Amino acid sequence: MSTASLTDRIGSFSRGEQVATAGVGLLAAVLLVGVVVGWITVTYLLYLVALAGMYVLLSMGLNVQWGYGGLINFSVAAFFGVGAYGSALLTADSSPVAGGFSPVVGLVAGLLVAAVLAVIIGIPTLQLRDDYLAIASLGLAEVVRMIVLNEREITAGSAGLTGIPLFFADWPVLGSLEYPFVLYVGDTALFTMERSLLIAELNVLLVVVFIAVVYLFLRRIHLSPWGRVLRTIRTDEDLAKSLGKDTYRFKMQAFVIGSVIMALAGVFYTHLVLYLNPQDLAPVLTFYVWIAVILGGSGSDRGAIFGGFTIIALQQGTRFLNAAGTIPVDPAALRLMIVGVLIIAIVRVRQEGILPPEKELIWPGSTEGSADE
Amino acid sequence: MSNVTQGAVLGKDDPVLRTDGLKKSFGGLTATDDVSFEVERGTITGLIGPNGAGKSTLFNLVSGFYEPDEGSVSVNGTDVTDHEPHEIVGEGMVRTFQTPRKPEGMSVREAMLVGPQGQTGESILPLFTSSSTVRREERQSLERAEEMLERFEIADLATQSATDLSGGQMKLVELARAMMSDPDLLLLDEPVAGVNPVLAQKLAGFIEELHAEGQSFLIIEHDMSFIMRLADPIIVLNQGSVLVEGPPDAVRSDDRVVDAYLGGPA
Ligand SMILES: Nc1ncnc2c1ncn2[C@@H]1O[C@H](COP(=O)(O)OP(=O)(O)OP(=O)(O)O)[C@@H](O)[C@H]1O
Ligand SMILES: [Mg+2]
Repeated sequence: MSTASLTDRIGSFSRGEQVATAGVGLLAAVLLVGVVVGWITVTYLLYLVALAGMYVLLSMGLNVQWGYGGLINFSVAAFFGVGAYGSALLTADSSPVAGGFSPVVGLVAGLLVAAVLAVIIGIPTLQLRDDYLAIASLGLAEVVRMIVLNEREITAGSAGLTGIPLFFADWPVLGSLEYPFVLYVGDTALFTMERSLLIAELNVLLVVVFIAVVYLFLRRIHLSPWGRVLRTIRTDEDLAKSLGKDTYRFKMQAFVIGSVIMALAGVFYTHLVLYLNPQDLAPVLTFYVWIAVILGGSGSDRGAIFGGFTIIALQQGTRFLNAAGTIPVDPAALRLMIVGVLIIAIVRVRQEGILPPEKELIWPGSTEGSADE
Repeated sequence: MSNVTQGAVLGKDDPVLRTDGLKKSFGGLTATDDVSFEVERGTITGLIGPNGAGKSTLFNLVSGFYEPDEGSVSVNGTDVTDHEPHEIVGEGMVRTFQTPRKPEGMSVREAMLVGPQGQTGESILPLFTSSSTVRREERQSLERAEEMLERFEIADLATQSATDLSGGQMKLVELARAMMSDPDLLLLDEPVAGVNPVLAQKLAGFIEELHAEGQSFLIIEHDMSFIMRLADPIIVLNQGSVLVEGPPDAVRSDDRVVDAYLGGPA
């Protein structure tokens, strides 16, 4: 394979991989042109990439639940919100409860609370048929949003939380850098950078690290006996039970892991935008993440990543078209229409999504012929 | 005909499965009514009876999928009444379903790998801390899966998608997969329903082979030639109760059984 030329390799791609590659290539080209021509600044572009990274995390989280195990969770926004508010309330200056902690503390707290909440929701629902989780999670999403909106003395309500620190604000060196940041070699300034650009770069770096860690973790648990049992549960839970699997335990683990990843996305978001209000927990977020997972390919980790980026492309693309005055339509309405068309297209032509999941969930290096992998 | 017993034969030497007074109603309908029976270790025990006699319900009760209203179940001498299905598998009893369950999107060998019990890699932590153990177990399981598929003469299907299998092939895979979990007793619910006669004969041969190696079976089947060839003893269920138990030839010609099948008074 190493000697194969690039075109050969692309030729050996599946159709989905070709579509995905073409899509990503096209998007990158448009953005590059956009930057060169001056439609968007590099800083804003990086901000969008970071935001896409947040969607990637959310999609990977939902993929563990729906894609691996067939769990229907309609409260993506709630777990996202628990992570976002959990971290914000511990770190923000304006926090009505206990601001001022390091974002790392906020991160740990946000993830823990999400895990506990997932267990609490999971205990009564995961022992029952699939639909119970779906219904309960619909309720949960609203409950979390209402609590955030109404418990003002805890969450600041609709006023929102301000003064949230950057994730790396208190890190050595990074936290104390002066801006604009200038790199000297001897007396000559080699390189100057605006604060906002540096921050945008660091945020992208941060989300890339989060995604990489999550992705490697998920690859390991997915291509394994554990992932295989979940796949069995997804197609037929009774079958898994009849083969001696404690399906409740597997479903609970998948539900908690997925929810914690969603909360991680929330923590990242908080320290990206530095301002949080209950609007951020609107149900439409859940909707978009579902689209991302289904579009990318339910059960596919790569698909979740692709889907996450697609959502941002879709959101920003419609906004951009509107700003450019090319279409006389409200971008929000247009967006929903495109999403609708996309869903119909997937269901009709490619139910398995653009990048369908791994053919076999077997521990890498166990099958003959895979020893060289 | 003297060797056909009214009701089930109880007090067998070494029962692998035993039920005592099992009862299950769905609303006003009593599907299982005071059923006590035993499956002797090392036998192929047949379970027959007209449609709606309660055979599948009985399977669901003993395998933990339904909770009995009354009565108890024990496997290998351990009381498993009200245990979860997976716990009952842990005690050594594995069942299949009347309607084949196709693991969509899985390859045949992948589906086979779900069978083995107590896999280290089914827990999350060892995936990170003992990856070599996981790999070793996967290799062993794959090897066994291959042997098993060869034995059932479907080795060529190993990497095929289970979705593409015919009903008969799926039945073979189900049997092979159930064997992967090393059961003491295997419950088969209509293993040759919808299977062509040639394949049914083959399947009967495989079951005989496994039996000769000491595997115990409890088999529900409507195909009389199939069950008469394989099973001894045969338990006849009618309207939720055990009618008779006895050797195949005697059961076949028993008046009470004939009446039950003809819908006459039991
Ligand atoms: N979950 C259920 N809810 C309500 N009724 C049920 C349920 N399961 C079984 N029954 C009823 O219990 C009776 C026994 O059904 P069961 O499936 O055990 O019969 P069976 O002997 O397996 O029949 P067959 O040979 O047709 O498979 C039937 O009248 C059936 O309708
Ligand atoms: Mg039945």
